Amino acid sequence: MPLHSTISHLVTQRRGLVWLAVAVLIALSSLVLATRMKLDTEVLNLLPRGFESVEGLKIYNRDFSQVRELTFALVSKPEDADRLEEFAPQFVEALRAQPWCARVLAGSPLETPDGVRDLQSIAVPLVLNLDQAGFDETLAALQPAKIQERLRRLHEEVEAGSPRPQIELTLDPLGVIAPALKPFASNATMENEQPLTSPDRTMRVFITVTNQKDIGAFECQRLMEEVNAFRARASEGWDGGPLEVLVTGRSAYVAEISLSMRHDIVVTILGSVILVGGVFYIGFKRWMPLIGMGFSLLLCCLVSFAAGLLIFGELNMVTVGFCAILIGLGVDFAILIFGRYQQARDDGCDHGGAISEAIKNLGKAVFFGALTTAVGFLALLLSNSRGFTQLGVLIAIGIFLAGIFMMSVFFLFLPQERHVARHDWIFRLVKRYVLWTVRRPLFMLGISLPVLLLLMLIAISPWPPLIFDASTQSMEPKSSAAGYALHTIMDKMPARWEPAIAIVQAKNTQQLHDDWQKIAAHWTTLQESGKIKSFATPAALTLSLERLEANRARLRTIDFAVSRQALESAVAEEGFSAETFASAFTLLDDLARVASPAAALPDWRTLLPRSSSWWFLVDRYFAHDPLLTTGFVTTHAPITTQAQKQMLTQELPVAGVPMTLSGWSFTLTDLIPWSHRQLILISAMMAIFEGGLLAFLYRDWRLWLIHVATLVFAVGAMIATMKLFHLPLNILNVLAFRLVLAIGVDYGIYVLLVWQKARELEHDVAGVIKPVILAGLTAVAGFGALGLANNPTLAGLGIACAVGIFWSLAATVFFTLPATAAAEPKLWREETVHTPVQETEHV
Amino acid sequence: MFKKLFLSLFLFLCVAFFNAGAETLAPAELKKLLSDIREKRAAAPQVQADFQEEKSIKMMTKPVVSAGKVWFQAPNKFRREVKGNTPSLTVSNGATLWIHYPKFQSAERYKLGTRSPLDAGIAAITASLNLEGVEEKYQIIASRDGDSYTLELTPRTPSMKRMLQRFTIHFNKALQVDRTEMFQANGDRIVTDYSNESRATIGPSLFEFTPPAGTNITTPLGR
Repeated sequence: MPLHSTISHLVTQRRGLVWLAVAVLIALSSLVLATRMKLDTEVLNLLPRGFESVEGLKIYNRDFSQVRELTFALVSKPEDADRLEEFAPQFVEALRAQPWCARVLAGSPLETPDGVRDLQSIAVPLVLNLDQAGFDETLAALQPAKIQERLRRLHEEVEAGSPRPQIELTLDPLGVIAPALKPFASNATMENEQPLTSPDRTMRVFITVTNQKDIGAFECQRLMEEVNAFRARASEGWDGGPLEVLVTGRSAYVAEISLSMRHDIVVTILGSVILVGGVFYIGFKRWMPLIGMGFSLLLCCLVSFAAGLLIFGELNMVTVGFCAILIGLGVDFAILIFGRYQQARDDGCDHGGAISEAIKNLGKAVFFGALTTAVGFLALLLSNSRGFTQLGVLIAIGIFLAGIFMMSVFFLFLPQERHVARHDWIFRLVKRYVLWTVRRPLFMLGISLPVLLLLMLIAISPWPPLIFDASTQSMEPKSSAAGYALHTIMDKMPARWEPAIAIVQAKNTQQLHDDWQKIAAHWTTLQESGKIKSFATPAALTLSLERLEANRARLRTIDFAVSRQALESAVAEEGFSAETFASAFTLLDDLARVASPAAALPDWRTLLPRSSSWWFLVDRYFAHDPLLTTGFVTTHAPITTQAQKQMLTQELPVAGVPMTLSGWSFTLTDLIPWSHRQLILISAMMAIFEGGLLAFLYRDWRLWLIHVATLVFAVGAMIATMKLFHLPLNILNVLAFRLVLAIGVDYGIYVLLVWQKARELEHDVAGVIKPVILAGLTAVAGFGALGLANNPTLAGLGIACAVGIFWSLAATVFFTLPATAAAEPKLWREETVHTPVQETEHV
Repeated sequence: MFKKLFLSLFLFLCVAFFNAGAETLAPAELKKLLSDIREKRAAAPQVQADFQEEKSIKMMTKPVVSAGKVWFQAPNKFRREVKGNTPSLTVSNGATLWIHYPKFQSAERYKLGTRSPLDAGIAAITASLNLEGVEEKYQIIASRDGDSYTLELTPRTPSMKRMLQRFTIHFNKALQVDRTEMFQANGDRIVTDYSNESRATIGPSLFEFTPPAGTNITTPLGR
């Protein structure tokens, strides 16, 4: 028995068996979903693999403590700036009392006695770690004459009213540890009294480290629930005007994104079902086929999702959009098959015969339709992005399943009895249009061609420009509270931009020290030559055992008893209080003790109290693994151009030091060529594949040329629309072009294949144009529904595809048809004799 | 009981004695006083005077005494020359503050207006010389003792409070400042006596400073 007859037999005579198979499929898929459901909310997994900058960003995001940082901001009205300043300590105390809060940074640690004391406590190992020139200065400063001279000078500066003695004597009364503490002091500069306050004093920033157990989506959601509860009551005690309590950070973003996934799934599926169902109902005015179509499509989604989980283990957030896309695409098959089924019923076939006829006639078209679409989505494998690879595979699986289910399960919902024909205004309109176009193709072309050419001209002209947004904002969720907080902070703080980061992993502490010494020396020359604005490295914090030992030996040349005596005398002579120099005497004692070969070499990591605010600074440089480190390079302007990125790539590395350059801005700039490659090369490959497929299908150069021109016009009109409506392209939605080519080509195939074989234009061509229009509109609706998603990648991709598919449909109806009619004219009702058609309203 | 009564009486008498000559001004009188001072200064927005200063600071066991001359131009330009064995020159044009030590051939440069601790200090110092907007920044208690007046300024803003506890300005009958007392938040106290006040015109170059060749320049607060 042929396949189409077998299927017809099964869905009409063995319905129970088919329902059982469906039930088993649903049960198995549900089981997979229930037991293996794991969603990947990591936005970085949307970026392509194989880029060092991307890998660096993942390391930075995973291994450094900033992953657990939350940044709070209090924003008041200008008239409440003083109140805000008074309220800040109260807010800090409330923050510290939160069970999820491990540490709080509310200002420069140098401003607090604890911060100064902590810094002095780690001075000895850092002094011993100084290079030869630096340590020479230290030794010189310990000479009695130098001590006396320095104190005399400080006295005179006090008389002059200079703030310098106060600063120096608070941190470094002996005058030897300042060079060693430079990395700390320079990062907590006292130039600005309140480095975490906006210049207009209406915003104060507080950085916290949370104690969340893991950094997964559910833990982030749990944490943010507590944080948001705190935010709700954080303004208690505030007696001013409106006060915003903002929070941002990785956990805030992850919680938002993972929660918005639920919203995105519901909104996009509902949106897609309503829009697609609406179009289907308007087209056919039947409920049961509509329900059957919906059931079959949801079954596709369920099985594909389960298959995706089995294949990939976990699915990226972007894959939640696949259901909406699948519904938009899969409905094409339902429309075509139901249209053909109805046509067969109108031609006098019974229910089983009409099913068999529909499968027999459209099996090939559905196969090729599924093939081109699946290839288009499988081409996402070339994107190297885990998220988009999953999306492509899921849709490829889904589209094949849609083909299978629309030719089997869908028929379970069709009533056996024949419906009485009702007035079909859509078909009537389509038929009139086809008649008019076939009779006057040049007239129609005279309208459509100038419009398409004009859009093409706009597409290729440099003005208006096509917006390509490679900024970090293009990756943020829409209406994101965390994003709003981040941008408010960035807007209000002095011009700061994200630095490039250099990640260095060493095998041991000595290598780490040597590497950073070389890097710091090299970057100093870059800064002096003006190639970079500034940099910060952990060089001073990476200890060298060799250097510590060598400097300790040199320390033994100092007579500490004499130095101590000199200090005591100078303090008395210059009239300084002994209390001011207490830490200096302690330091002298510590240096004297460590000079002994028997003493253990100190490590600043064990000396710095765990509660110290300085860990905020240390954690910027060191990952959980202390041999994994990072340095920061600030450029003269935000990194947005290839020239900047190339300069940094060429200049920053040091020979013999493995280094990974990254940072969000650096990475997105690094990905622009990849994005362009995706846009041009992969889309071109797709076009070549489709060109070959069309040549094979038509074996007619005129039809081939018309179809290729249709695709070119569709893509041109898509670009022009994006330009005119300021719809931006971003790093990821450039993938839309290949999808538009893959999906849009189907409409032309349906029309031209029918045209080639048409004997009766009214029956054949008009009969296919209506389903094509309905299929196109449902695809536009399916992709357009993605525009409702919070996820910007998904929304951007959906809108770009919806625009492209709309123009593919329009070009097919208003250009392909008249052009074909002009190139290969056929007479209307060429053969009207012996027609078996009884009722043509449902074709 | 008798001891307590005696002590209370003694304290009362002490307070009464020390306040006997001073009379607190009503708000309207304070307003008028400030208005009179401003009117006088509006006519000549510049001032120069000799000064003698005594600093009692925690880091020194004995007060540090210095003397010299000060020039001021409203709203925020000033120059201060310290004479003696360890001379120094402090010059501010409102944007940059220089402290020059000729003896050491060195100078310190400070950028103003960055809300550094120095700004709060400068604001406090110039408060006595420039009373513009003083009511918004400070709570003021004014008193009259014969022909002279005293203004006691307590900062309103937290940033000023971190630097300054209280600032007292003594005016003579000609409404010239003849003494200021600054009580800093860290317990330091600076008392400055002014004499030979003049409102003669001051050349703008006096508020600019160019370090002599060979001067070692440092920026203790960065940049």
